[in-house]
Parts: sequence; C-alpha cells; structure tokens
Amino acid sequence: MRYNEKELQALSRQPAEKAAEIGMRVPKKGSVVKRRLVKLVVNFLFYFRTDEAEPIGALLLEHCRIAKEEPSGFSISFIEDPDRKYYFECSSEEQCQEWIDALRRASYEFMRRSLIFYRNEIQKMTGKDPLEQYGISEEARFQLNTHQA
Amino acid sequence: MKLHRKSVLSYFRGTGARAPDREGILLKKGTRNPSYQRRWFILRGNLLYYLEHQGDRTPLGLILLDSCRVEPRDSTTEPYAFVILASEEGGRSYKLAAEKKVDFDGWLQALVWAGWSQLWELLQPLQEQYQRVCQEAGVEPQAPPQEDRFLGLPCSPAPSGFQELHQRFGEEIQALARSRATRRQVDLMEFG
Repeated sequence: MRYNEKELQALSRQPAEKAAEIGMRVPKKGSVVKRRLVKLVVNFLFYFRTDEAEPIGALLLEHCRIAKEEPSGFSISFIEDPDRKYYFECSSEEQCQEWIDALRRASYEFMRRSLIFYRNEIQKMTGKDPLEQYGISEEARFQLNTHQA
Repeated sequence: MKLHRKSVLSYFRGTGARAPDREGILLKKGTRNPSYQRRWFILRGNLLYYLEHQGDRTPLGLILLDSCRVEPRDSTTEPYAFVILASEEGGRSYKLAAEKKVDFDGWLQALVWAGWSQLWELLQPLQEQYQRVCQEAGVEPQAPPQEDRFLGLPCSPAPSGFQELHQRFGEEIQALARSRATRRQVDLMEFG
C-alpha cells in the first residue's frame, strides 16, 4: 500500500495536541524501554528519537485499545493484534491518565461517536437537531445507523 | 519513518459496523503515465484510500487528507476534475476526476469536510451545548460510548458483577470530567 512519506512527515510537523518525552517499548522480541519524544497529531501518534527531527514511526489511533498498565504506564494495542502492545512509561499517574484520555479523544471514530451521541441526546431533550444550523444534518457520516450491507 | 500498516489497514477494512463515509469510482491520473486510470476510492474518517478494484482487500494507496487541500481544477479532457494538493513544498498532487457532476459535487463536499480538525471544531460546541442542556434539564451528563464496549471487546479484567461495573463506569466518567475541566475550564460537575 503506497503512501506519500512527505504527507506523513508534514503531519508530524503540525502543532501537536500533546507531546512529551516518555519511555517506550515496541512489541518486538527482546525490545527494551527507550526514551522517545512522543507526539500526538490528529489521530496519529508519532515517536521520535529525542534528538531527531524526523519521526521513527507513526501509529494510527483507530480500532485500538488504550489500557492502563501498572505502574504509571499505558499500552496501545490494535484489535486485529491484541497481544502485540506498545508500552509507554510515564513519570506520574497524572501524566499517564492525561495521555490515556488524550489518545482516546484523538480517535476520529471516537469523535464521530461522541458527536452522534451528543446530537441525539440534544435532539431528544430539546426537540431540535443541533446540526441543522450548520446545514449538515443529512450527512451520512453523522447518522445514527449507517451499517454496512 | 515506519507507518504502522496494520492499524491503517484495519481502519480501512472497518469493523463491519459502519459503512465508509463515501466510496466510488474516480479517475486518477498516473504519476508516470499521464492517462487516467479508474480507481475505487474509499473515504473513511480523515483517510482516503484507493483500490485497483472495488472489493480488493488491500488498498493501492493512502492519502492523508489533513496534510492536503482539495480544489477543483481545469482539465483539457475531463469536465469534473479536481486535485488533492499536499500543503508542503515539493509534495505530490493527486489529479482526479469524477465521471458525473453529481459525483464531483459529492466528493468535493465530502473531502473538504473530512479533516480531523473540522470534526473537532464541530464537536466542541456540541459537547458544550449538551452539558448546558443537561444542566438546564437537571439531568446528569453521560459520557459518550467507549471504544471497548462499542466493539464488543471485553474490558480487562472483566468486572465481577454489576457493582464493579457501576463503580468502574463512575470512575471513567469522573476521569473524563476531570480532564474536561482542566482543558475547558467549565464548572466541575458532580457525578454520582
């Protein structure tokens, strides 16, 4: 599957929702925790060697599970491969929870579900569709039930 | 840079619970070959995939829409032509064309609105409105559905009973409220 490396690099240079130096361990045999600069941009998590400008890697934060790992750490794994986990070690419980929340909120699908949820609830409580003012109430991607055939 | 392919492919394939945001045939001008090729395009979220044929399990390519802008363009041969342009210097452009006006209109609309930031900007006022409406109605705001439950994945460890499930749900809402309060500086709400 082709993609443009420059697009990915451009994305990694956009303003980050969150960035920090965190210990990281990739799901590879014999891998150890390494200090990385971890940067959250839209629904991608980029990780850099601390002294480099270009990321080593990028994870798309969709269809993934973000779980708390003791102590003061978290892991990211993907539904299709739940045992291969990317581990992250934070410097405090608070930093850890902030990252977990930020990573979950970063998912496009999470945002979409939230939007549909809020829209539906507001409509139930007020009788008005809040998306009407934007002129997008008919858009398929914001409908409650769009299932594949 | 190593792009974690499995996550990108998994997202493309979907969970079976949601159709893509848009899909259909578009003509794509080749990079080396100037002629147009028919490709099957699938838009899911902020990612645009293209396949050689509809139904292919693996896409030919992926376009990151947050790094690009989409514009109509003039073409000598195609009346419904547009371009996806990388915003960076030296980035590539994708010259595309729809076969019909209705597809052109539909795709442009979908692509221009597909960015992550657009969805974020739509979500914020809606979230605030929901909190306000709840307060006015005197009901407790709920958290939107969590990933794990939506996909039917078990939380680990599995709750031993309703009590523990209730407790954990309460904790999740509190954590959500704490993070919202710090970011948005809204009144901290009390959750039962």
